[in-house]
Amino acid sequence: MKINQSINMSTRFRVLSEDQIEEIFFAALEVLERTGGVIYHEEALELFKNSNAVVRDKKVRIPASMVEEALNFYPRKITLKGRNGKRSLQLQKDTVGFGTGSDLPFTYDRKTGERRRTLYNDVRNAGKLVDALPNYDFFMSHGIVGDAPNTQTYDRHQFLAMLEQCTKPMVVTSVDGEGLEDLWRMGCVLQGGEEEFRLNPLFVAYIEPISPLKNDRTAVEKLLFAAEKKIPAMYTPCPSSGATAPATMAGMLVQSLAETLLAVVLCHLKNPGMPLIMGGVTTVLDMKKSTYSYGAPELSLASAANTDISKWLNLIMFSTGGCTDSKVLDEQAAAEQMMNLFYAYLSGANLIHDVGYIDHGTNASLESLVMNEEMMGMVRAFGKGINTDDEHMALDLIEKQGPGGEYVTTDHTFEHWQEWYRPTLQDRSDYETWKNNGSKTMIDRVNERTQHLLDTYEADPIKDDQWKELKKIVDDADKRHA
Amino acid sequence: MSFDLGKISETLVTGKVDDLKTLTGQALETDIKPGDILNQGLLPGMDTVSQRWKAGDMFMPEVLRCAKAMGGAMEVLRPHLSESELGNAGTIVIGTVAGDLHDIGKDLAAMMFEGAGYNVINIGIDQPNEAFVKAVKEHKPNVLGMSALLTTTMPRMGEVINSLKEAGIRDQVAVILGGAPVTEEFAKEIGADLYAPNAGSAVEITKEYLESKV
Repeated sequence: MKINQSINMSTRFRVLSEDQIEEIFFAALEVLERTGGVIYHEEALELFKNSNAVVRDKKVRIPASMVEEALNFYPRKITLKGRNGKRSLQLQKDTVGFGTGSDLPFTYDRKTGERRRTLYNDVRNAGKLVDALPNYDFFMSHGIVGDAPNTQTYDRHQFLAMLEQCTKPMVVTSVDGEGLEDLWRMGCVLQGGEEEFRLNPLFVAYIEPISPLKNDRTAVEKLLFAAEKKIPAMYTPCPSSGATAPATMAGMLVQSLAETLLAVVLCHLKNPGMPLIMGGVTTVLDMKKSTYSYGAPELSLASAANTDISKWLNLIMFSTGGCTDSKVLDEQAAAEQMMNLFYAYLSGANLIHDVGYIDHGTNASLESLVMNEEMMGMVRAFGKGINTDDEHMALDLIEKQGPGGEYVTTDHTFEHWQEWYRPTLQDRSDYETWKNNGSKTMIDRVNERTQHLLDTYEADPIKDDQWKELKKIVDDADKRHA
Repeated sequence: MSFDLGKISETLVTGKVDDLKTLTGQALETDIKPGDILNQGLLPGMDTVSQRWKAGDMFMPEVLRCAKAMGGAMEVLRPHLSESELGNAGTIVIGTVAGDLHDIGKDLAAMMFEGAGYNVINIGIDQPNEAFVKAVKEHKPNVLGMSALLTTTMPRMGEVINSLKEAGIRDQVAVILGGAPVTEEFAKEIGADLYAPNAGSAVEITKEYLESKV
């Protein structure tokens, strides 16, 4: 037994020092006091008017004390639970969950190879893959259901498509406050009522402000509804550095944090203790192609820094990884997805979304979801760090086997090689074996695996009576909006 | 007393070294022929192992544990087997050529052969050409395995084959090559019979070849 020892139980990584985080936090407080944010929602403006905030027309400026007070009221732990009660996901500091992104308008068609509108069945299939692949912890719709009867109710149909083949916890998008209410009611059907949903929420509501410092009516409507019902929700700024935020990473982080903190105060005024989650897709506008980049190294850097800030603030973090600007699943996709997946994981963000995105957040690819499964496995294996206890130092074994000895037949190897990552898609065979098996590339193997899963996997079905109740909520919405 | 040889196969597949030794000893105490213990108990077990290995359902440490169990069982069984019963699987002389001190690939192959029931004579690393010729003369194996990891030591393999020819014993053995820089083309070029791209495939390649010769 030794004293004064410290042991890394995992790999460690951070971008910002504590002093830097404080600087960014103080700067964000300054932004809220001096610059403020605009809000296009009457009730929200009323809530601020009745507080110590200063409201001029639609612009709200918030004193630092209100932010500091509100920050004390948010949970540091949320447990999400899938619809069959089995797939639960703990959201708490440094516990990482991976999941897809949502609402991609296009899908890469596996049969024709063409890009086309995303349909109900594409979302259902994405859910099936997410359910089947163990490294995915939560599901966002991946695509947006383009064949719903009405664009005002597509979110309910999309939620049905998501639920059909996926039993994992979810992050959902909604059209507006009414849409979120319907999704929440559907969630309550599955979780066994409003109270059960509050203890074990099926989903987190995805809501975003408009950078810089703008809060539109529907976003605030959703946020206030989530606060009222204590539905976990994230208010996730999506600034593009150089266009809707300063071109410096620090400036973007300050502004994005100010946008988050405005929601922190607003939700507190509405209903203290609602489970608000911090977010941020913090990246750059490509200055050559004028696109919002999902593969830029700055996305990884700013996102990891943002997660450092979230941990300091004791807020649960929604971050980004596994995504690319590449139009197809190719070398660029692999490089970019691996990079942002890796650093998002090491940063310790709690919900890492957009895994599998290609074409800078416009195109859905089921193959990409499957390829990322392998990459998530690799990243997780790296995060395990190195155990240096006696058993793992293997001093006696080294002595026993001696110079020129071998380890492959030892019990020690038999036990510990199982700690290694076992690839399922990577090819590590010798040249001849690879050639004899058809000289398959990664993409070939990904295709085969995707088809196999789609053909053979079936998730636990939803109970008939629950399905009827869900359908009724959706049908009623369609009637209201007909 | 009735004895279930299937149990020997099953135990072999689980890789329990001591259990398999005990079972083999128990089987010998019955009136089951030692040859049947090998052919209906142990070898079918190893067949299962090699099939699972090939399908990717078993991993190297597991396979080698089974091979170890097989080796242990053979120690018990070998004294009771006749020459012809022993010859059922075959004998292999295996070694790494002169100038090369790398042995893990060669040793893995040796263990795999042992596991498949072969009588394995592992002559070790850095072996001069004459040592291979001498071992073939002495042990009369069906197979000679040579490995090299260095491109600088690869030519020694061709020299050994020539020495076998000069000694007039080239036709008595199938020569199989292995090692990272070795290719099928190279093996053909220097007049070897077989080439295994990895330690795991050597046994199967050899087995197919020997069966095709019968």
